[in-house]
Amino acid sequence: MITRRDFIKISGLAIGLIIAPSGFQILKAEEIMNNNLKPVLWLQITKNNELIILSNKSEMGQGVYTGLAMLVADELDFPWEKVKVKAAPASDIYKDEKFGSQLTGGSTSLSHMHEFYRYLGATAKEMILNAASEKLNISKSNLKVKEGYLWYKDKRYPYSHFWDYALKLPIPQEVNLKNPEEFIYIGKNVPRIDVPEKVNGRAIFGIDVKLKNMVYAVVERPNYFDSKVEDFNKDDILKEKGIIDAFPIQTGVAIVGETFESLLKVRNKVKVKWSRSSIEGYDDNKLQEYYLNKLNENGNIARNDGNVIKVIQNVNKKIEETYLLPYLYHGTIEPMNCVANITDDRCEIYAPIQAQTFAQKVAMEVTGFDKNKVDVYTTYLGGGFGRKSNVLFVKEAVEISKKLKRPVKLIYTREDDVKSQWYRPMNATILKAGLDNNGNLIALYHKIAVPAVFEWAGRPSKIDRAAVEGIENMFYDIPNVHVEFVKVDLPIPVWFWRSVGSSHNAFTLETFIDRVAKLSHKDPVELRLKLLSKNQRAQNVIQTVAEKAGWGKTPKYGAAMGIAYHYSFGTHVAQVAEVSLDKSTGIVKVHRVVCAIDLGPTVINPDLVIAQVESAVNMGLSAALKEAVHFGKSGPSNLNFDTYPILTMDEAPDEIEVHIVKGEGSMGGVGEPGLPPIAPAVANALFWGYDIKVNRLPMTPDYIKFLIL
Amino acid sequence: MKKLKINGKFFNVNLSDDTPLLWVIRDHIGLTGTKFGCGKGICGSCTILLDGNPVRSCITPLKLAINKEIITIEGIPEDHPLKRAWIELQVPQCGYCQSGQIVEAYALLKNNLNASDNEIVSIMSSHLCRCGTYNRIKKAIKRAQSLLKKEG
Repeated sequence: MITRRDFIKISGLAIGLIIAPSGFQILKAEEIMNNNLKPVLWLQITKNNELIILSNKSEMGQGVYTGLAMLVADELDFPWEKVKVKAAPASDIYKDEKFGSQLTGGSTSLSHMHEFYRYLGATAKEMILNAASEKLNISKSNLKVKEGYLWYKDKRYPYSHFWDYALKLPIPQEVNLKNPEEFIYIGKNVPRIDVPEKVNGRAIFGIDVKLKNMVYAVVERPNYFDSKVEDFNKDDILKEKGIIDAFPIQTGVAIVGETFESLLKVRNKVKVKWSRSSIEGYDDNKLQEYYLNKLNENGNIARNDGNVIKVIQNVNKKIEETYLLPYLYHGTIEPMNCVANITDDRCEIYAPIQAQTFAQKVAMEVTGFDKNKVDVYTTYLGGGFGRKSNVLFVKEAVEISKKLKRPVKLIYTREDDVKSQWYRPMNATILKAGLDNNGNLIALYHKIAVPAVFEWAGRPSKIDRAAVEGIENMFYDIPNVHVEFVKVDLPIPVWFWRSVGSSHNAFTLETFIDRVAKLSHKDPVELRLKLLSKNQRAQNVIQTVAEKAGWGKTPKYGAAMGIAYHYSFGTHVAQVAEVSLDKSTGIVKVHRVVCAIDLGPTVINPDLVIAQVESAVNMGLSAALKEAVHFGKSGPSNLNFDTYPILTMDEAPDEIEVHIVKGEGSMGGVGEPGLPPIAPAVANALFWGYDIKVNRLPMTPDYIKFLIL
Repeated sequence: MKKLKINGKFFNVNLSDDTPLLWVIRDHIGLTGTKFGCGKGICGSCTILLDGNPVRSCITPLKLAINKEIITIEGIPEDHPLKRAWIELQVPQCGYCQSGQIVEAYALLKNNLNASDNEIVSIMSSHLCRCGTYNRIKKAIKRAQSLLKKEG
């Protein structure tokens, strides 16, 4: 159980080292306090010679605590088993300067923070050396640090011996980082710091936080996001056992109870009169029609090289495909939840969140408190995938606790979680290509009708970055390229879903490339290599994956192979899927997936990279084969895992093989880039092996059988 | 008052018969390793053992646990080959579903130490992992299987 005191022990000590991210400026806690900032610290060496590091990035399974701690422990030369990581509370100090916000997303944690955390470790090491040199009265050049100990000749002292004194000395402003050959952890498969507690049931997730005098809350939601509460049967609900209060909040009707089970019991008795939605009755059919019609509208042009329309008009060989991809649900197994405790002069939040700054901001809005009266504490996240960077659930908990003036734990039931929306957007895409007389791809037209994710996130722009990502900035060398974005404006909120726009754009582009390959009688690997002849890193991953998968040979397990390549979040990924199809049932089985990934020259922990790619492949495959949010006449209709099934072990590939290819350039991301290629790789295998064109997802047995007929 | 035996310890609870065991264990007893995922017995995050049999505690009423032995993730020894294998193979990512996975695997190997790959996959396919750690879960169960056979 997490208590406020535990957090204060870490975050509230007035001693310690503070390093602000901007320019690696170093301040002491006292200085921060004098500047009227909250006392916070980045690392601490305890009396028992343990190293505690604060992470400004949320641990949601990607292994960021491990990655960041490795950087500090490596520079500081600290034994790994004595390293601990805690979540940094919300504070300006902990902002990721590149985001201007404390936020975990965009596969950027290590690329944004790796230098900073290395400096942190190197600075602490220098501080210990300085302190030891003064205390022992020995020149620094005669002192050494190793594995948490300071050595003078054959005598050793734990770092903790000097730490308090070190904090009193001026903090070194310039420190040297290690050369790569001196690394003790970086580049190695150091075991994850969070694994033991996750194996023993001790890891604390948001849903596990319990405060004294705490009550529980749920929110009854409308079918469509733009419906508001007009009336509800408050008196009936308040009569039920264990129910403390019921009242409307911004997003629905909040019901508060002594226990969570008392709330579960009352749910089917809640009758709410909702205002009419502007999309009342928009079911699957209506939505599909709506999206496809949007493709007839003129959008905003994101890229226009050459003259695509003219070229396509004039060539003999051309091809056109229309795609329709569904809304997707994040499906974190830990549903949204938040503990909020609002008193007359303070607000405390404990939650699994990816966006601390935004959480603090919404709490400030609701309570009217200053920043320094709103504490936001991050727990482990039972899955994030982008969903937990949306902080509306935090706002709800704050609204409820504010009314009750006592600690409240808001939990979304699974049905609430699906119904709350913020999905990966549905989208319709038309792709056209023109080939010259030699079969070369000389013109590519891409138009997508899709909601604007960034606009829902409060950052509107003419061209929504997510809408065209992976297409607008693709590396395929084609002389005429047209990319157009038609904004879909429906009151169905959308959000960042692992790999965001690339989750759909890679599917349309990469399956389309294979259609072009067939039309021009080219091998898909060969065609890609030709189109990417100016990009060595892209070529490397494609060649690696082709070789490792045995491209061109008979598949080992499946009946057909498909390839896809995609660049996203600074990382190149190519995947080959070995697939077979049972034509009688329509069941697609993916037997083996081979991946090659180039995330730049530095790989901090190879096993974390492999784990993230395995994860991304399975999540991408889950979406490809099974997932779609369905809408009935009254909103989202498949509200739990029985009707929104996700991939299970028997459906996962028997083998996922990951090859890390080291490339030049800057550090790329790894949490998301493994996802986009899998769906098109599978669809391409079906295209070549079974002559099936998959232009819609998911590839459910029914849909596949329909395509066979 | 109802008496419950969880991980070898006795607890008294004053709750109605139909309270789902999940909330008894998590909120009233305070053992939070067992997780809430779907509330319908689909995802497996809330799996516990009732007299050795894996059950979905979110749909199991309290009355069914009286006079029975409950084991949760906290009740499986930390040096158990399954937990060791889970660490060795670095299985968890977000970790949320892993308690349920480990409890299920514990029952699986207890019932049939010689479970084949197909049997393992078939049983474990009733558990959802959104991080997609399936390949490592499978390997960890097989690793634990061989450790258990070796260590007896």
